[in-house]
Amino acid sequence: MKRALGLALALMVATGSAAGQKSAKPAAAPGAIVLRGGRILTVSHGVIENGAVVMENGKITAVGAAGSVAVPKGAQIVDVRGMTVYPGLIDSESRLGLTEISAEQMTNDYIEPSDEIFPHLHVWEAFHAESQLIPVTRVNGITNAIVAAGETDTLPGQSSFIQLEGQSAKDMLLVRDIALPLNFTGEQRRNDSWEKAKFPFTRMGVAAQLRQAFIDARDYQQKWADYEKKKAEPQKEEKNKDDKKDEKKGPPTPPKRDLKLEALVPYLDGKKPIVLAAEEPGDIETALELAKEFNLRVILNHVEHANKLLDMIAASKLPVIIGPIYARPKEGERYDSVYRMPAELQKRGVKLAFASYDAHQSRNLPYAAGYAVAFGLPYDEALKAITLNAAEIWGLGDQLGSLDVGKTANVVVATGDPLDPKTDVKQVYIQGRAVSMETRQTRLRDQYMK
Amino acid sequence: MRQVIRAWACLAVTALLAGGMASAQSQAPSVGHNEVLIRNGTILTVTHGTIKNGSVYIKDGKIAAVGANVTAPPSAKVIDATGKFVMPGIIDAHSHIALRDDINEATSPVTPHMMMLDAFDYTDRNIYYTLAGGVTTSLLLHGSANMVGGQSIVIKHKYGLGRDQLLFPSAPRSIKFASGENPKRVYGSRQQLPSTRMGNFAVQRQALAEAQDYMREWEQYDAKVKGGDKDAKPPKRDLKLEALADLMRGKMFVHNHCYRADEFLTEIAMAKEFGYTLRSFEHALEAYKVADQIAAAGIGISTFADWWGYKEEAWDAIPWNAVIAMRHGVNVAIKSDSDDFARRLNQEAAKTIRYGGATEDEALKMVTLNAAWNVGVQDRVGSLDVGKDADITIWNAHPLSIYALVDMVLIDGDVFFDRSLPGLGTPYYKEGQ
Repeated sequence: MKRALGLALALMVATGSAAGQKSAKPAAAPGAIVLRGGRILTVSHGVIENGAVVMENGKITAVGAAGSVAVPKGAQIVDVRGMTVYPGLIDSESRLGLTEISAEQMTNDYIEPSDEIFPHLHVWEAFHAESQLIPVTRVNGITNAIVAAGETDTLPGQSSFIQLEGQSAKDMLLVRDIALPLNFTGEQRRNDSWEKAKFPFTRMGVAAQLRQAFIDARDYQQKWADYEKKKAEPQKEEKNKDDKKDEKKGPPTPPKRDLKLEALVPYLDGKKPIVLAAEEPGDIETALELAKEFNLRVILNHVEHANKLLDMIAASKLPVIIGPIYARPKEGERYDSVYRMPAELQKRGVKLAFASYDAHQSRNLPYAAGYAVAFGLPYDEALKAITLNAAEIWGLGDQLGSLDVGKTANVVVATGDPLDPKTDVKQVYIQGRAVSMETRQTRLRDQYMK
Repeated sequence: MRQVIRAWACLAVTALLAGGMASAQSQAPSVGHNEVLIRNGTILTVTHGTIKNGSVYIKDGKIAAVGANVTAPPSAKVIDATGKFVMPGIIDAHSHIALRDDINEATSPVTPHMMMLDAFDYTDRNIYYTLAGGVTTSLLLHGSANMVGGQSIVIKHKYGLGRDQLLFPSAPRSIKFASGENPKRVYGSRQQLPSTRMGNFAVQRQALAEAQDYMREWEQYDAKVKGGDKDAKPPKRDLKLEALADLMRGKMFVHNHCYRADEFLTEIAMAKEFGYTLRSFEHALEAYKVADQIAAAGIGISTFADWWGYKEEAWDAIPWNAVIAMRHGVNVAIKSDSDDFARRLNQEAAKTIRYGGATEDEALKMVTLNAAWNVGVQDRVGSLDVGKDADITIWNAHPLSIYALVDMVLIDGDVFFDRSLPGLGTPYYKEGQ
């Protein structure tokens, strides 16, 4: 019964989740391409010197030593000797497509400042596929990203998983409602001043407001369950109950729909993850308890100052999106306390991903991973944190994140180490297709460089 | 959102230290060893190439010798740099740290009498964080809310010492000007002059014109006194105009916050009209469009490696800007304008290799000698040359690598950061300071 109910609700929620979970087929299937002779970072099964990657119909169909890989008939062979080949990078939180010029408010679509609880907002409904920021980002090897709303609302709306290439938003939005951010960093308080004070004014207020929202959503879910149950019951019993009242007969009235509460249901049912952002120990603990109270599936986000909770986080087995690694330490902490956090968490077996938390600088995502290596994170783990780990955390591990047969052919060819800012990206393939490496910025460069 | 805040942080201007400042800055006593030998490292001199397995000998806080065969008396403290990279301390040519966030006197578009020194907090932890990123000198600027901002200070990151010991001795005085969107936004939102670029320049020109009158009054007065007129009455002192008069008398120069190509040209014309020196354009994201004209005017730029799009006038920013401008002969520095970026300017510099093909030396120069020139302290710091201040950063790998860590930072020959030390790694820092 419960299952049927969930289904009914899911259908209602739906414009979002039902429509377009997967990318539409590109206009024409790309032909076979073989990248041959490069240094292949497979991510999942080590490095192949002088290797080859074969892409056909948008998928990877072979990966191996250059000599051992069969070349499909009519395939285009690209000589990538001296180059490094790796899977397209995944930014686990960005604002791509939600902003164009930060200071121009009319170009910003990532935060609704009017309230705090917005689970029924969907970033895909604001996603601007023609954003000039997207080509600028992808030519640095980022092929996929989570697009998330801003941090100042507690529940700012549901995130989408995108691919950074496509004819339209439809092509680019791979998973429209993939997760719901829950922000508990303190920034969600409406505490500008006593004069402008508005609930929730304190962290206690934020927690209480959240708790109430989840309780209301459970009640709402129950109401619908009751309704569905009643609707499913045979009508005949009504007859012998009372024969003088005819109005009792007929189908029961459905509860009034409330999109806010409805949007929370899949998350309460653990069908999709909550991306829980909390930076400091007190906040992380409170937010985690809240999540436990409602049995939410959690991805920890924005973890920055959790030095005292490393073991607790490890014991929770939750994946962690590391907060901006560049964040400054708290008073009394060494300059490198945040820089070291990825290494400390990984050492304890935590599955890590990195995020840019930005739009314009999303292209710098790999350097966050590189910097973590400088401070102790093993290189392979750093690369994983912007490829396979991210894909797995977002539930797309079977499609993305490594150079393996059967996966989507999102592949990058660069002059060297992807984590080093000196490395130049030469070509990006998305779904097996060489994407344009031209951007608004390269056009300006070419216009003036001469 | 954070980016918007950063854009506001760019609203900064430089402090002009009044007459007494320069001498006050020269009081910093030496705190440690008189003689230090850094040996067996890869020496990145910036001015004369890389010396493999070389040494730097420091005496009395100055570089006394650099080379492959350097000897030092046995009394010298030895720092073994085997397997390490030794370079001049990084210079951040555009910073707002340690000013207690008091960087914008946004109550009037003309505030040249604002002194960054009056807001300077020498205990700010950002001085330490930046030090740990290999930075030894920073230019602390006023914000860019005002067309004519305030007067800068230049500091050495001697974290743990007293206020005056952090001030860069004999650093030239400078003032920050700003054009473009920031003043427009601040005053435009109040329906106040200036709300447009026309308004911006009118305000700037008016202030300079008034200062010219003020200078004339003083010249007339001085002439009277010289001529023996005992009844001559001095004009009323006006700190605002006095500052601008000093600017036009060549006693300081301008760091001009400026984004757009057309504005560089207008500001260059303005400097010519009033006879003051424009030392650098700050941000200068469109420098690549008029690089030859900036170079011809002898003006440097302090720019970002790859920031863009945080406001309209940053929309045409391209990461090749620094290298294109450099190839046209502009003195280019990569600066932070950010508490975070200040801690890894080496990586920001490395991006110029990728975007435009700068050589390693050229990239290093952008955060050392070129930055020093924009600040006006190039004779003292910015390269490993005999006679310069012993401001030196030692890395465990090539500093343009993302994997490089700062092992040690020396300023005036004293170690101010040592990664191997416990706690914060800063020998002069005392808890509860």
